[in-house]
Amino acid sequence: MKHQGTETLERKNVISDETIEYVGILAKLELSEAEKEQAKQDMGRMLDYIDMLNELDTEGVAPMSHIFPVHNVFREDVVENGDESRAMLNNAPERKDGCFKVPKTVE
Amino acid sequence: MDLTKMTALELGKMIRAGEISAVEAARTALEQIKKKEPDLHSFVTIDEEGALRQAKAVQKQIEAGVLTGPLAGVPMAVKDNLCTEGLRTTCSSKILEGFVPPYTAQAVCNLQQAGAVILGKTNMDEFAMGSTTETSYVGATKNPWNTAHVPGGSSGGSCAAVAAEECFYALGSDTGGSIRQPSGFCGVTGIKPTYGTVSRYGLIAYGSSLDQVGPIGKDVSDCAAILEVIASYDKKDSTSVKRRDTDFTAALTEDLRGLRIGLPREYFGEGLDREVKEAVLAAARVLKEQGAVVESFDLGLVEYAVPAYYVIASAEASSNLARFDGVKYGHRAAEFEGLHHMYKKSRSEGFGAEVKRRIMLGSFVLSSGYYDAYYLKALRTKALIKQAFDRAFETYDILLGPTAPATAPKLGESLKDPIKMYLGDIYTISANLAGLPGISLPCGTDSRGLPIGLQLIGNCFEEKKLFRAAYGFEKTRPRRTPDQAERSGK
Amino acid sequence: MSRQYETVIGLEVHVELATKTKIFCGCSTGFGKAPNSHTCPVCTGMPGSLPVLNRQVVEYAAAVGLATGCTITQYCKFDRKNYFYPDNPQNYQISQLYLPICRDGGIEIETAAGKKRVGIHEIHMEEDAGKLIHDEWEDCSLVDYNRSGVPLIEIVSEPDMGSAEEVIAYLDKLRTIIQYLGASDCKLQEGSMRADVNLSVREAGTKELGTRTEMKNLNSFKAIARAIEGERARQIELLEEGKAVIQETRRWDDNKEHSYAMRSKEDAQDYRYFPEPDLPPVVISDEWLQEIREKQPELRTEKLQRYKREYDIPDYDARLLTETKRMADVFEETTALCGLPKKVSNWLMVETLRLQKEQNLEPEEIPFSPENLAKLIRLTEAQVINSTVAKEVFEEMFRHDIDPEAYVKEKGLKTVHDEEALRSCVTQVIAENPQSVADYQGGKEKALGFLVGQTMKAMKGKANPGLVNQLLKELL
Repeated sequence: MKHQGTETLERKNVISDETIEYVGILAKLELSEAEKEQAKQDMGRMLDYIDMLNELDTEGVAPMSHIFPVHNVFREDVVENGDESRAMLNNAPERKDGCFKVPKTVE
Repeated sequence: MDLTKMTALELGKMIRAGEISAVEAARTALEQIKKKEPDLHSFVTIDEEGALRQAKAVQKQIEAGVLTGPLAGVPMAVKDNLCTEGLRTTCSSKILEGFVPPYTAQAVCNLQQAGAVILGKTNMDEFAMGSTTETSYVGATKNPWNTAHVPGGSSGGSCAAVAAEECFYALGSDTGGSIRQPSGFCGVTGIKPTYGTVSRYGLIAYGSSLDQVGPIGKDVSDCAAILEVIASYDKKDSTSVKRRDTDFTAALTEDLRGLRIGLPREYFGEGLDREVKEAVLAAARVLKEQGAVVESFDLGLVEYAVPAYYVIASAEASSNLARFDGVKYGHRAAEFEGLHHMYKKSRSEGFGAEVKRRIMLGSFVLSSGYYDAYYLKALRTKALIKQAFDRAFETYDILLGPTAPATAPKLGESLKDPIKMYLGDIYTISANLAGLPGISLPCGTDSRGLPIGLQLIGNCFEEKKLFRAAYGFEKTRPRRTPDQAERSGK
Repeated sequence: MSRQYETVIGLEVHVELATKTKIFCGCSTGFGKAPNSHTCPVCTGMPGSLPVLNRQVVEYAAAVGLATGCTITQYCKFDRKNYFYPDNPQNYQISQLYLPICRDGGIEIETAAGKKRVGIHEIHMEEDAGKLIHDEWEDCSLVDYNRSGVPLIEIVSEPDMGSAEEVIAYLDKLRTIIQYLGASDCKLQEGSMRADVNLSVREAGTKELGTRTEMKNLNSFKAIARAIEGERARQIELLEEGKAVIQETRRWDDNKEHSYAMRSKEDAQDYRYFPEPDLPPVVISDEWLQEIREKQPELRTEKLQRYKREYDIPDYDARLLTETKRMADVFEETTALCGLPKKVSNWLMVETLRLQKEQNLEPEEIPFSPENLAKLIRLTEAQVINSTVAKEVFEEMFRHDIDPEAYVKEKGLKTVHDEEALRSCVTQVIAENPQSVADYQGGKEKALGFLVGQTMKAMKGKANPGLVNQLLKELL
């Protein structure tokens, strides 16, 4: 396969500190400095590899999200569930007054 | 008689005939687990007490004539990304440490109704992201054929457990080859059904548009029987498909005359291990001798499947894994300053490196300004790949090739170079993108004694053709297990 | 101020649909008494759970679209909107971005300035979030997912409004339409209708739009009006000082009459929308659309015309009666029971509106049943009770939802028609009021009224007033 030797390819996608910082905010991940460096390398390499898709002419090809032309899968508007609060709260790291407890959300 | 040597159907028959009880079967499996686990580590959770309790209940129902199916009383294992009510389910991740689901996955429910006895939950790559089971938070599973090697992944625990006879069959999940590749590496049989055949309800999502649950068994007949039970329309899964042709065991005939088999040339090109190639081509010759029409053809677009897959799967994963945030379940950091820091710290502590890598990539390809260039491009590529398969299936009933480019690598070899690891999925990934069924079954061993997997890919909803070809091939060779290999000195 | 400014306003209105169950699971949408009592694996974002779309949501959304002149997207899809917040259990909201169910509609509004069309850019379906309760004592927040997954439609207008008055006229019209459709009760206070205001200002005469801000947390028409005035003034002040308006989301504090920027460095506002892989597309066939169209109830404009025609009711009255669907329903149901539209209309327009105002109720809050109002009207018509007593009974009915028949019986409020009883009472009143008798006999007609009043008082209001009149004249 012609694309296997990715290490030897020249790096086209250079990921900046700002990008890693931004993606970290989106993904809610806190990376150490070493992890950030690694992430920059990894993401750059992956994007170089993914850029291979640009060789393909996809002009006029509709993006395919669902593989089968299934549509209109519905449920009827009928109550099926009872009070399952105990089961739903059972795994919560912290709970109070029948609620999931979280750090304060407003300043 | 060594019960562990039985296939699931053979054991089920003995249990129904009253030759042994479901409890004895469960005890046998639990003993085998105790013997093998220190070397293999196939399981994340072993539920000895629960298994014996289930076995007793099942035995009663068998005796009462309530349970009459072929799998009643047969001990099995479930991949740890399928929810089991009351039984810890972790996806082999720290972030789900101690998570006890309030409900059971539909595929597991179906098996329980058929009398399955669940022994425990099997190890996997964390959130099914990996090809070696080494990304598991609880540590790697070893290949039963040679413990210096990986069992493959991500359903490595399930495949190793079946190969090592710790259970009679197992459930796995396959997003890019996660049933087929470890089945190949462990010398067992595993099938990824057509997308929508088995309910995903209760399967902890990785790539929702690609994930499918499937059976891993000792032979083709077992897989057909298990799939017959787990394939069902589920109104809780909107992508579940209503099918009437799920009597898969009916397809187990040895007659392969007229079956048209295509060998995609790209599956035999550069990058494929010589021994694997020879074994797979030999298998093709066997099928030809049995009356199948076998020929090579150009499938096209094969090298684009892996990059398209990593865009789509990572994007979906970045969203699917957002729910693990330390609020409702799982790991929450001990100390933090405010809400967002709690999120970040809990997630950073809870996820391993490979999962983080894919969440970061997935978040990036969906982010403002990159969506069209990456995500939509990948979805367009997926459409083209689907078209290529549609064309191939105009001519061929099934496609044949290797499951993976090589046999199981040594532990610790793969994680160093992610892209190289990703390329190990090159033959399996397309089936997920196109929703196709694919089966991996053993077709030999390499010079180191490691199993080689033969992959058959069928058109959507045509599992029966896969079972027919796989069964026909399987009948030509004896079933081999790791301990036989040890005894024969290989 | 040297320069003239004009305000450009667009609205994003969220409406909770009146389905029995949530949009993607079989949990009740009813107000749960206990927190998290209406939750399941789907609406708490348990791993492995999957959404299944409630058919009724599609029908309501399409019905609102049809009633607001929108084009229905016959092939529509759901998308995921990704953002982290504890009220959002999956940390993504299932919504519609690329193919919303309705597009390109509009409604006509009427203000003092005249009639005007406000365009509707789109209407999409989505799921509501849970509720955050702030625990001041422990300095933490508590999450209740009972509202999580309640179906919403978001109605996005074009930036076609220029004043608070227009905004309120638009909201009022929208609310009436949706209430008439039965798609939602649209209560601003309870949050079943919520409006976010997008506002910008520009110098009068310029074409280009200014930078807009989005204002949230507006839960009454009054708050909306105040927020619009406040934000308009704030933006003009910035421009006058030569500063720029920043595009941002602001939270209105109606008590302090001030808005605050909801900025955070952790909010990237990059929602990474992508097609929801767990939900197949929705295809609304011509036949289905026709069915929805046929099921559309009579809307206000049609109803108003019909009332005038069918019941011979004046325009002003018909407007009042059709202002809320609840009022119109009570009117029609009561009329069907008693057959006296004028009387029903009278009770609704005078006493009901008076008591609603007195008790600070919303126009749709009519606490009595049509059955009881019909009974009251029948009691009055049959002269079982007189009009004074009827008002008293009505008040009781309004306050405590009593059965008028039982109440009249229990309290002994029946009008006394017994001539002998009345005659003795009148005789006594004449004896006790010699001055008034003298006045009347001296030609002062007014004095008779006083004597009638005294008799009624003595009879505790229950006398037949006609008969009292007649007897007084006779005895004097």
